[in-house]
Amino acid sequence: MPKAQGKIQGTEIVTERTVRAARGGDVAASGVLTPAQRAAIFLSRIWAWVFLGLMVLFFVVAVPLTSGGSVNFLTNRNFQNILVAIVPVLLLGLGQTFVIITAGIDLSVGWVMSLASVLSALAIRGSFNSGLPLFPSVLVGFAAGVGGAAAVGFVNGVVISKLKVPAFIVTLGTSFIVRGAAYLMSENTTVIGLPEGIRAYGNDALIYYIGGDGGGLYFLQRPEVGGELLRRMDIVLPYPVIVTAFVVAWAMFLLHRTQFGRHTYALGGSMDAAVRSGIPVDRRIIMLYMLSAATSGVAGCLSTLRFTAGSSVIGDPLLLSSIAAVIIGGVSMSGGSGTVIGTVIGALIIAVLTTGLVMLNVDAFWQFIVIGAVVIVAVLIDQSRDLIMGRPKGGIRR
Amino acid sequence: MSEPLLSIRNLTKIFGGLIAVDKMSLDVRRGEVVGLLGDNGAGKSTLIKCVSGVYHPEEGEIAFDGKPAVFATPMDARRAGIETIYQDLALANNLDVSANIFLGREVKKRRFGGLVQTLDDRHMLDQSRNTLDSLQIRFAALVEPIENLSGGQRQAVAIARAVYWDAKLMIMDEPTNNLGVPEQHKVLELIRTLRERGVPVILITHILPDAFAVTDRVIVMHRGRKVAEKATAHTNAEELVQYMVGAREDAAA
Amino acid sequence: MSKRVLTSIFILVVFLTTSLLAQAQFKKPKIGFLPGVVDPFYQVMQLGVEKAAKDLGVDVVTQIPPTWGVQVQTPLLDAMVARGDLNYIITAPTDKDQMVGPLKSAVDHGIKVITVDTFLGDGDYVNGPVKFPISYIGSDNVEGGRIAADGLGKAIGGKGTVYINSTNPNVSSVEGRAKGFKEEMAKKFPDVKVLGPDFNLDDENKAAQQTSAILTREPNLAGVFGTNVFSAGGAGTAVVNAGLGGHVQVVAYDATKQAIELMNKGVVSLVLAQKPFDMGYMAVQFAVADAAGVTSLPRRVETGFAIIDKENVKDPAVARFIYQVPDK
Repeated sequence: MPKAQGKIQGTEIVTERTVRAARGGDVAASGVLTPAQRAAIFLSRIWAWVFLGLMVLFFVVAVPLTSGGSVNFLTNRNFQNILVAIVPVLLLGLGQTFVIITAGIDLSVGWVMSLASVLSALAIRGSFNSGLPLFPSVLVGFAAGVGGAAAVGFVNGVVISKLKVPAFIVTLGTSFIVRGAAYLMSENTTVIGLPEGIRAYGNDALIYYIGGDGGGLYFLQRPEVGGELLRRMDIVLPYPVIVTAFVVAWAMFLLHRTQFGRHTYALGGSMDAAVRSGIPVDRRIIMLYMLSAATSGVAGCLSTLRFTAGSSVIGDPLLLSSIAAVIIGGVSMSGGSGTVIGTVIGALIIAVLTTGLVMLNVDAFWQFIVIGAVVIVAVLIDQSRDLIMGRPKGGIRR
Repeated sequence: MSEPLLSIRNLTKIFGGLIAVDKMSLDVRRGEVVGLLGDNGAGKSTLIKCVSGVYHPEEGEIAFDGKPAVFATPMDARRAGIETIYQDLALANNLDVSANIFLGREVKKRRFGGLVQTLDDRHMLDQSRNTLDSLQIRFAALVEPIENLSGGQRQAVAIARAVYWDAKLMIMDEPTNNLGVPEQHKVLELIRTLRERGVPVILITHILPDAFAVTDRVIVMHRGRKVAEKATAHTNAEELVQYMVGAREDAAA
Repeated sequence: MSKRVLTSIFILVVFLTTSLLAQAQFKKPKIGFLPGVVDPFYQVMQLGVEKAAKDLGVDVVTQIPPTWGVQVQTPLLDAMVARGDLNYIITAPTDKDQMVGPLKSAVDHGIKVITVDTFLGDGDYVNGPVKFPISYIGSDNVEGGRIAADGLGKAIGGKGTVYINSTNPNVSSVEGRAKGFKEEMAKKFPDVKVLGPDFNLDDENKAAQQTSAILTREPNLAGVFGTNVFSAGGAGTAVVNAGLGGHVQVVAYDATKQAIELMNKGVVSLVLAQKPFDMGYMAVQFAVADAAGVTSLPRRVETGFAIIDKENVKDPAVARFIYQVPDK
């Protein structure tokens, strides 16, 4: 055994090997990062924010230029539109974030959203027609939509954890079952005949602002104005956005401040360690997939309120967008890392891009090409972290 | 001598067609260090995983602290007071040191009049720092994910975790694997300290010098069976090697 | 609506717009065009829109939803409204009830709406539940359904089973076609049994699958009615793949090149060509006229059909209604 000329500084675990390693920036051996490495890691964490900022800047400048000054990107109306646009993708992405952190995936979120839309529409219509006032009917609708969604999530979780079938396959299977159920429960894929009053819940806002003469601030209810005043009316904080904000805040709390969130990260970091540390893995997995389905359920209910109809076909295009938002937001597909705020940024990037392209009068199809490129860049940056740290590609042995 | 703290009788573990552990019996008394030796594939890790609740044996009985024990989950074994440091450490790379030490047994704090329970990170961090200090281990940053740490440092985390929870019995599976010489000495020192405190240790190793340095007794396994049980002082390296490779075998020890 | 009346309206509007443009006292309107989805029908409509824009000297902002649905059309609509520079939006609403809200919101922001091809509510913007769009310019789809029923009924000899394959529920255009078809079949060919409609959600592959399934289940199936571009395409493909071309009569709504090809092969016996170019062109004209202060624009314009069959498909007067987009 080579004689280690280490400095046993009374108490530190230090050997010459480690000292040499620290100087050479080999993190695996030294446990210490050089400043350059720290900077690179920091950049890799915030690149999505930077990209979003640059994109917004680009549109703010380019839109007025190409439209000869008649169109403006930096308006409150546009900002509110973008917030409304991210609601479905973000809600689907929230639950998906938790699931992907554990290195799983939920392919059923799109169709669960559709099912929830149908269930909530049926529930609202049924309870309103049997005499329940409007607001309680809406609550019943939410209960039905989110409850039905959570039931699907429960099934997903049980099959994945107890029967040990891979998440990809299970959620793929349930997505088909849910899709069929949604079609069958709806009447020719749409449920109509809902009370007109629910449109307010799905479209109105907390604050209405009318600038200029005769204007003012109005709260909670759409003011009954017409003509010029109506034209100048701006909304701030539409209700769906407020609901979504609450769900996002709750998700952040859950992930970063509770034991459940800690265990979620642990499951993604090392399933083995989680099991041997006594974490009730099966229970956690079931909760995770129920969570993922429940957020999709909320999205479905909000869609019903917005369009005053339950639709069983709304979820399909949103599934892949939700996964894209999660990946762009920095969640690694191999599990163990990711944040809720990252997914919010990812969803914003997609929405800002689409809106900006319309404002630039560019074919909105370009959004698909750009988003695809951004997703690939996100994955590359995620993998580059291994390179920066001097680890072999593929990460440390777990 | 007092009652054995841990008593295993005729424990058998089968995976499919393979008999990994074949009618193993052994005792561990308070204040002793038992070495479990054997070549790769002898069944040492499997045996201790049956004791720590990861595997369920097909046959055999385990008695712990005077009572029969059935450890259905790893948590059961931990609650009983058995702490295990696995060969692969069973650490979560994406979590930091204190999160790993408290993994599965996180400390919570009630807020808002008991409505909400959050993690008490401050408390866990302080406790972790204390434990590491008492073991004389120092880290540069306690809140970085441990994937940045060296092998030796990760070992230290695993050891700190086991030590913090005040075990009644400590099981260590190849604890000196990733360590440099001074670190290996520290681990051996730690084992001695535990023995002084009355905490028995089962030490799995295939490094004979380590076994001779700290154990009171050695048990050799070969192909799942116990082939030798000797007081450390009454045996030597060549003899043990012969047992380990299967060239020699004592009748049902 | 008869050709004569239609032409008269055309001339009237052209006259009004050009004469008013000559006075050029008003600011040129900026128009947004938001059709239903990417398909040859709307592509030809876009040609009409662009030609009118060029002729009348106005700007058009176009966005085409990649898939059919309110979830996809609404964000594009919202973004167009948020631009703040559009005065009119010409659109084919993807749901006659669900799009009322978003389009009403556009109107609240000072944008006027003209619907093409599909309508909101019940299409009667004077007495019906929805009154805010300026006009509905499209085919009389119920009549088109009747024409299709006539053609198919005759082709199958007045008896047997037929099947309708359609796209999306709650869309005024295909809904009208199916309704007209069923009515006419019940009236003129009471011995014919009508199956469907099935909804393929604007997916040609699904249309083919659904039709194949029916073909297998109903050995006596005599005819199929595909209510739009994708339905007809898919249904036709299914019939060909089953080797039943010529035995199962197919009537196709929408004269895509594919439909015409199938007709030449003998699979499709009748093609109803709508006039999307006219719809698009007229919609822009209406917008310009309205901006110039014209108040007597008709609230509903039916743009008529060209009925194409094997006899007249080579006639250039008829063939010009086939949906073709010149190569870019």
